[in-house]
Amino acid sequence: MQRFELLDITGDAGIRAFGSDLKELFSNASAGLFHLITGGSPVSGTIALEVAAEGSSLEGLLVSWLNELIFRFDTYGFLGSRVVVEDLWKPSEGKGWRIRAKVFGEDFDPSKHGRGLLIKAATYHRLKIAETDGRLTADIIFDI
Amino acid sequence: MVLDKLKRLGETRLEVPVSYKKGMRVPGIIYVDATLEKDLEAEAVDQVANVASLPGIIGASLAMPDIHTGYGFTIGGVAAFDLHTGIVSPGGVGYDINCGVRLLRSNLSRQDVSPRLKDLVSVLYNEIPAGVGSKGRIRLGAQDEKQILIKGAAWAVEQGLGDHSDLEKTESGGRLEGADPSLISPKAYERGRAQQGTLGSGNHFIEVQYIDAIYDQKAADTLGLFEGQVTVMIHTGSRGFGHQVCTDFLEVMERAAGKYHIDLPDRELASAPFQSPEAQDYLAAMRAAANYAWANRQCIMHWAKEAFMKVFSSGPSALGMSLLYDVAHNIAKVEEHVIEGRKTRVIVHRKGATRAFPPGHPELPEAYRQLGQPVLIPGDMGRASYILLGTAKAMEETFGSTCHGAGRVMSRHQAIRRAKGRAVSRELEDRGIIVRSSGRETLAEEMSEAYKDVTSVVDVVHRAGISRRVARLRPMGVIKG
Repeated sequence: MQRFELLDITGDAGIRAFGSDLKELFSNASAGLFHLITGGSPVSGTIALEVAAEGSSLEGLLVSWLNELIFRFDTYGFLGSRVVVEDLWKPSEGKGWRIRAKVFGEDFDPSKHGRGLLIKAATYHRLKIAETDGRLTADIIFDI
Repeated sequence: MVLDKLKRLGETRLEVPVSYKKGMRVPGIIYVDATLEKDLEAEAVDQVANVASLPGIIGASLAMPDIHTGYGFTIGGVAAFDLHTGIVSPGGVGYDINCGVRLLRSNLSRQDVSPRLKDLVSVLYNEIPAGVGSKGRIRLGAQDEKQILIKGAAWAVEQGLGDHSDLEKTESGGRLEGADPSLISPKAYERGRAQQGTLGSGNHFIEVQYIDAIYDQKAADTLGLFEGQVTVMIHTGSRGFGHQVCTDFLEVMERAAGKYHIDLPDRELASAPFQSPEAQDYLAAMRAAANYAWANRQCIMHWAKEAFMKVFSSGPSALGMSLLYDVAHNIAKVEEHVIEGRKTRVIVHRKGATRAFPPGHPELPEAYRQLGQPVLIPGDMGRASYILLGTAKAMEETFGSTCHGAGRVMSRHQAIRRAKGRAVSRELEDRGIIVRSSGRETLAEEMSEAYKDVTSVVDVVHRAGISRRVARLRPMGVIKG
């Protein structure tokens, strides 16, 4: 199954991610983000990080999750290759949603990785998670 | 068609009437002529209308001719809010807090620089960190970073990167009062640590230019500008630091909007009442990010000067390199404006819009006080940029604001598709423009055709009288991220 496609938007960059469930959707949205950063060059998964995020809604969770990944790249040069979502849940107490995942990747190396777009933030602009015929899609626009 | 609902007000303005959309408190005014009107996106018009529905908005929701769809507010948007009934919105500032432009003039002419241009561009490219994953030249400790947030450009000057006289030629002296480092998240500190003194990517650039047209000789003389003169334009902002501040506060402001019952037509318009602790905290954090950006442009300018000194083996005074001015184009500020005949302090949001204060304004440096504020308008890398001056009419009509650049018309993918099989850098070189970029597709994404022609944008603000043309700059060498 196709994991994501690129969206065409004046001034910015966006992706539409696909998934058969939420875990896969979030994992594929992350893959779309890494693709934009490197322009699609291969990244190895020699380092594994535990990353968690929370959001007030499912959409909010997707934005804060992607912003976590952007933060790790922009601050530490950590480039992901693959995300395994361990848990994505709505806590019985309190509001909102949470995610916990393992992110595999390596340190950015300009001699090896493509320099694609310097993604700075995932935004709420046109943000949408939808379900049709059991297939989930998420549209996310990034500020660059 | 939504655009049918707009009303033309003379040659350079369109009104978005209050009847355009439910909830609008004031009309929208978009500065476009009949030509630029054709590029107007329905979504951007809708955003002008959404801003007009926010509490405490004064006069009108304004948009400059470089308008295009942004997040929440349009790019090219200006909105002022009442300090008692109005709101503050991070969406009215944007993610890249205090993204802005500075212009450095030299006493070199185009003929002096042309033979050394390739060298100069290479040295600039090597000396100034740019692009995805680039590492800054400055390593900051936590205390240094706090100092930057409080002192702005003055911090860089204290480090020996520049001169005290640079500060008076910078909007707000390169430092906003009221920045509070204690409101900055650990994440923002982490992200900002290695990015001070870096250019970034996307539309940010350093450009070596020459003046090819002067429209107002007297003003040009006062500003120390002459035909054929080489200038350097620097366009960058607060980098990942400002983005993290914006991201952090969007969440805070979204919760605040719920708490204070502010009806949001769009989540990116998240806002809080000006008087609320949430809004005051955002402003104090935003000021810190603005100061980070001014320090950033100050560092980069210093290294750009050094690059010239290296290539021309001359000292700084022989090259006559000095800062003309530095403007912010993503910022919110409390300013005094005349509202219904009375001097009133309001909070002005400028997102992709430049301050354009008139002659005589007390915030202008002595040297320019009689003239009006220099306004710097970058164009795309193949065409032109402009130096304008602020006017009294801008003060009356647009809270002392004007346009900020060309504005994209093509998406990045469209541009890449259009550039397929073409060598953008070669095409520019054939026209005498040397470009260097680290990004794989940056040059295709940033090619001229992807932008509105800045000349038509500047033409509208000039004809509308909200700023006036002084000089046009042509690119010679461009460094992109």
